[in-house]
Amino acid sequence: MKTIRTDVLIVGGGGAGFRAAIAARQANAETLLVSKGPLARCGASPMAGADLTCHGLGMRQAGFFGEPRDSEEKFFSDIVHQGCFLNDQPLAERFVRDGPQRLIETLEWGCEPYLCDERAIFTSGVGIVDAHLSEARRLGTSFLDDTAVLELIVHDGQVCGAVGLDIRSGEILRFDCHAVVLATGGWHKAYTPVTGSKELTGDGVAMAYRAGAKVANMEFVTFACNVPVWPPVWRGSIVTYAMSLMCGGTLENANRERFLDQYDPETVAIASSTEWNKSFFSFATAREIRAGRGTPHGGVYYVTGDTPWPEFEARALRSYPDWKVKGADFSELGRMLRDGEGVEVAGAAEYFEGGVLVDDRFASSVPGLFAAGECAMSLFGANRVAAATMEMLVSGAIAGTAAGEFAQSHPSSEPPEDRVRTATEAIEAPLRKPSGHGIGHLRHDLQEAASAMLGPVRCGEELEAFLRMLEDARSDRLPNLGLSTTTRSYNKEWIESLEIENLLLVLELSARAALERTESRGVHYREDHPITDNDGWLREIVMSPNRDGVHVEHRPVRVTSLRPPSGTQPYLEMVREMMCAHSDVGGHH
Amino acid sequence: MNETIRFRIRRSPADGGAGNGYQEYDVPFTRGMSVMDGLDYIYEHLDGSLAYYDHAACNQGICRRCLARIDGQTGLLCQTLVTADTTVEPIPTQDVERDLVTKRGRDRNG
Repeated sequence: MKTIRTDVLIVGGGGAGFRAAIAARQANAETLLVSKGPLARCGASPMAGADLTCHGLGMRQAGFFGEPRDSEEKFFSDIVHQGCFLNDQPLAERFVRDGPQRLIETLEWGCEPYLCDERAIFTSGVGIVDAHLSEARRLGTSFLDDTAVLELIVHDGQVCGAVGLDIRSGEILRFDCHAVVLATGGWHKAYTPVTGSKELTGDGVAMAYRAGAKVANMEFVTFACNVPVWPPVWRGSIVTYAMSLMCGGTLENANRERFLDQYDPETVAIASSTEWNKSFFSFATAREIRAGRGTPHGGVYYVTGDTPWPEFEARALRSYPDWKVKGADFSELGRMLRDGEGVEVAGAAEYFEGGVLVDDRFASSVPGLFAAGECAMSLFGANRVAAATMEMLVSGAIAGTAAGEFAQSHPSSEPPEDRVRTATEAIEAPLRKPSGHGIGHLRHDLQEAASAMLGPVRCGEELEAFLRMLEDARSDRLPNLGLSTTTRSYNKEWIESLEIENLLLVLELSARAALERTESRGVHYREDHPITDNDGWLREIVMSPNRDGVHVEHRPVRVTSLRPPSGTQPYLEMVREMMCAHSDVGGHH
Repeated sequence: MNETIRFRIRRSPADGGAGNGYQEYDVPFTRGMSVMDGLDYIYEHLDGSLAYYDHAACNQGICRRCLARIDGQTGLLCQTLVTADTTVEPIPTQDVERDLVTKRGRDRNG
């Protein structure tokens, strides 16, 4: 087995990982970044639209138009209201404070903005990650791509290494290190459709949890609204999501009713013009589908609505000349909108608020283990409106510095051989199962079930059924599924067998938390508990492994300057109140 | 409506493509399906041993890592629409890792 030694091991080849690598190198730590897919072309970062949010004064510092009336306090207040007061306020303060510097350096490192508004620059996700990758490279980071890190080794009370798989060759790799930064993103692959890449299977959260780390807020999942579900080639594209923000339009159910009309007009108006759209429209869409008013392929129709076609088309073509989007041709989509057919859309899994519980330095509860970006517990609380791209840069920088310093002040011992052997055997176990077939099929079933039962709208009965299904998959189906081939080279079924273990774990934690939270807040709506309960539930659900299974505790949210509300109120009233509490700063955030 | 189309796929010798040949699969046809959708169907329902670069695929034409030769033309698996029987081969200028996966574009100095 090949052993690779480094001070800091960074797991994840997207924005959070690159920013952490830059910070760890600046702290003079030897740094290796391992990416499951191609560098800067996997995960969710390069798929983002992308905006990079910062308060108006920071925008002006960076040389852009920015709202002069804006302030750190206003941006912080807006983020906490958008998060329905479940934000970790110390981390949200860091996000606001560090934003301007992260924005300025991103531009210095070569990312080119093409638009801006009061609180954001608009660029491409690819532009953001490429700029950070080249800076990480310039500072001497080592890289390994197409390699999955699958298990952490903890010894003498701290992380000392990890074991992974070279996906192309099938070789097992051992990493000896003094600190680890997880930057592995979400678990998009548990759902369909999704807006992230296929390798996002919650690997970081799952291995952190297995290593004893606490995870939090696992019940909250943000769905991008208005994402095509049909035809298959468009499934998961954010093109209609972006179009709905730029060009307007509305949604119709299978009976061709404009179902948004039944909601408070102000709520719909605010959702239409800001990134509150994700949570509110995905919620309203899921309700129509659950009521049996969905389209043939499980969505609703996105139509041009009150926007006259020439105006709609002109706005669309401004961003998507010739209906071309990053190499893909959407002219047929334009025709469907023009002719009033509409496009079948629904919410698509996009962002996972839940993740590894972290402190102010993005350190987990396991010494030497840090987490950044989407795999860490979100600072956005129960609902994200500001940009996750900025969150990944802010958290990556803090985690990378902390890990670099930790690695040099707390050298770990070598990973014990027997622990490495156990991890290796677990990775190779699928190769030794009797031949069979159907891993892809099982994953497909999980995706359908998670999307239906752990989507924007939940209820206790379904969550319990979903948990039973996960248990059945783990104890009955998975053990009987072998591989069609035992080759080690790019064996898709082998990779998926390992991923499914992680997906089953994060889905179980997410469903348990969703069942536990008997209220509705942010992106978590319970049909059977449609009330926001500020007296009982301004608490995070924190989970950790213990001998009997999952240990669940409640942690009151950490508050700095914004006192949370009290009392209970219907979900939609709380949403409206949080929307209307926005400061006098315009823009999409 | 139960139309099927035939995928003819170049396999590596050890994986059913005896003599470095081709294997054929019949796949239900849907208007608006990509070559990647067809390969996904084969992998999930017909032959789990098939290798094509998708473990980290974006499916949106952004990562550009799913390049293959489709009916003789180089294209992205995820963005090339299927309209009739289709032949899929690895990019001819690159060494084959397995089946449609080639050894292109590794990035490592670790």
